[in-house]
Formats: sequence, structure tokens, C-alpha cells
Amino acid sequence: MDPLHHFHLHPIIHLPHIGPIDLSPNMAVISMWISMVLVFLLVYAASRRVSMISKGVHAVVEVLLEFVRDELVLPMMGKEGMPYIPFIATVFFFIWFCNLSGLIPGLFTPTSNINITATLAIIVFFAVHITGIREHGFFRYFKGWVPKGVPGFLFPFLFILEIPSSLAKPFSLALRLFANMFAGHVVLLIFLGMIITYKSILIAPFPVLGAVIIMVLELLFTALQAYIFAILSALYLSDAVHGGH
Amino acid sequence: MDPKVMAYLMGAVAMLWAAMICGWSIAWLGRGAVEGSARQPEAAGAIRTTMIIAAALIEAISLYTFVIAILLVTK
Repeated sequence: MDPLHHFHLHPIIHLPHIGPIDLSPNMAVISMWISMVLVFLLVYAASRRVSMISKGVHAVVEVLLEFVRDELVLPMMGKEGMPYIPFIATVFFFIWFCNLSGLIPGLFTPTSNINITATLAIIVFFAVHITGIREHGFFRYFKGWVPKGVPGFLFPFLFILEIPSSLAKPFSLALRLFANMFAGHVVLLIFLGMIITYKSILIAPFPVLGAVIIMVLELLFTALQAYIFAILSALYLSDAVHGGH
Repeated sequence: MDPKVMAYLMGAVAMLWAAMICGWSIAWLGRGAVEGSARQPEAAGAIRTTMIIAAALIEAISLYTFVIAILLVTK
């Protein structure tokens, strides 16, 4: 039994290619659209009737946004981070809903596909560097990569040393989210696959119990991975806003 | 040895080392965090945030290995 069977994506509707780009939507894309629509509807429903006393959906979204502000952005970035709350909150909500959509039978986890997490990480990468250049100006931003008080002749070496580290950040962001979601679902399938591998109904309760436990753990990880992605984005943005080291 | 068998074996060995070292590191990290927040309960929130970030960075190392192991096994 192939443990990677459910990660193979097949196009649902065949659409023409535009150059090298295949436009046919598959299950990952559909799940991503569903989570996008759900995030939009949630936040839209919350923003429709704003009153002083929050209740219903509004209260839930307010708690989540306050969490993003007080636990993610303010400790990492300080007061200068306030303009970046919408970005961090969008990343947090989108990743969380994408992760959660994988726990619904029939849907696919968009974040267990490396292409989607890599795209998210590249967005963060560009957001960080464009923010840094906008805040400090082109030359001052790249000068800020090297610690202050370094002799002039060491500058190019230290600058070159910083380039791999700045490229490794989006790489690790993408791979962490991808591998966590991927690994969780592989473990889930391996647990349930034991029933098929051992060909006995007597063994069935134990894998099912294990799968339930892993499922609960996955529910925790969906929120935790979204939190980690958002908090690391905030950390990288804070490096850019505060001029590095 | 058959290259396929070798690939399976090496995937398992890679995962073994990664899980061992990352488990040890996270245990160390958790110990430090618990000791720190027991000594200074008012700093528990900040310590928890830092601990989660550090745990994510450590965990990433074992996950890289996991991806490599999966690539080895499915080749």
C-alpha cells in the first residue's frame, strides 16, 4: 500500500494550457478556494454589523484578531508593527483554514503541497525585503544586514554570508509547513492502513483509536503551524522594519 | 547490496538520527523553558513564545530529514 497515494493530484476539469502553465483545477485548488471563501465569509459576517457589544461571529473574529495583535505582532514587532497586522492576520487565517480543510473527508490539504507553501513563503520573502527597502531606502537597508562597527574590508564577506541566510528563511518556512501537514496525513493513513495490511477485523479498533488520537493532535497542529508561520513572518518583518541586527 | 534496500535502510537511519537528536533538543528546550518560567512566573508568556519559535526551528531540521527519507523511499 502506497502511503503517498492520497497526495497524487488529478485534474478535475481539463482546461487548456497557457504556455507551460496548466490551468486545470485539481482538488488542492478547490480546497484552497473553499478555505478562501470561508475566511472571506467569516470576516465579512463579522464586519457587517459592528457594535460596541460584540456577539456571535463578531466576537469570535474579534478574539482571533486580538490574538494576532497581542500575541503575534506586538511582542515581535512592537508599535511599528501595527500597519502589518492585516498582512499577518491574512496569512494566519488563510493557513489555518487551509490546514483545517484537510481534516474534512473528501477535501485535500492545500498546505500539504509544496507548491502552495512555497508560494506563501515567497510572498513573505518579497514582503520582507520590499518593506525593508521602503522603510530604510535601498542602500541603507542592505547596509543594515551587516552589524555596525565592522571594518570596511570585511563588509563584502559578511554581506555574502548574509545572502544564504536570507534565502534559507523562505525555504525553511515553506518546508516546515509542508512537511508538518504532509507528515501528519501520512501517519494518519499508515494507522488506518494497518487494517488493510493485517487483513483482520480484530485489529481494527486499535488503529482507529490511534487515528482518532492523531486526528486530535492534527487539530492542534493546524492552529500551531499557522501560528508558527505567522509569528516567523512577523519576526522576519520586524528584522526588516528595525534595520536588522 | 541492492540499491533499493540500501535506500530504505538509509532513509530509516537518517530518520533515526534526526528524531533522536531533535527529540533530545526539544527535551532540553522544554526543560529550560519550564525551569525559566518556574523561576520567574511573570515571564512565562514571553518564555512560551520564544520556546515555540525555537521548537519550530528545531523541528524543521527533523522535517527536512523526513522529506529526504520520503524521497529515498519513494525513488
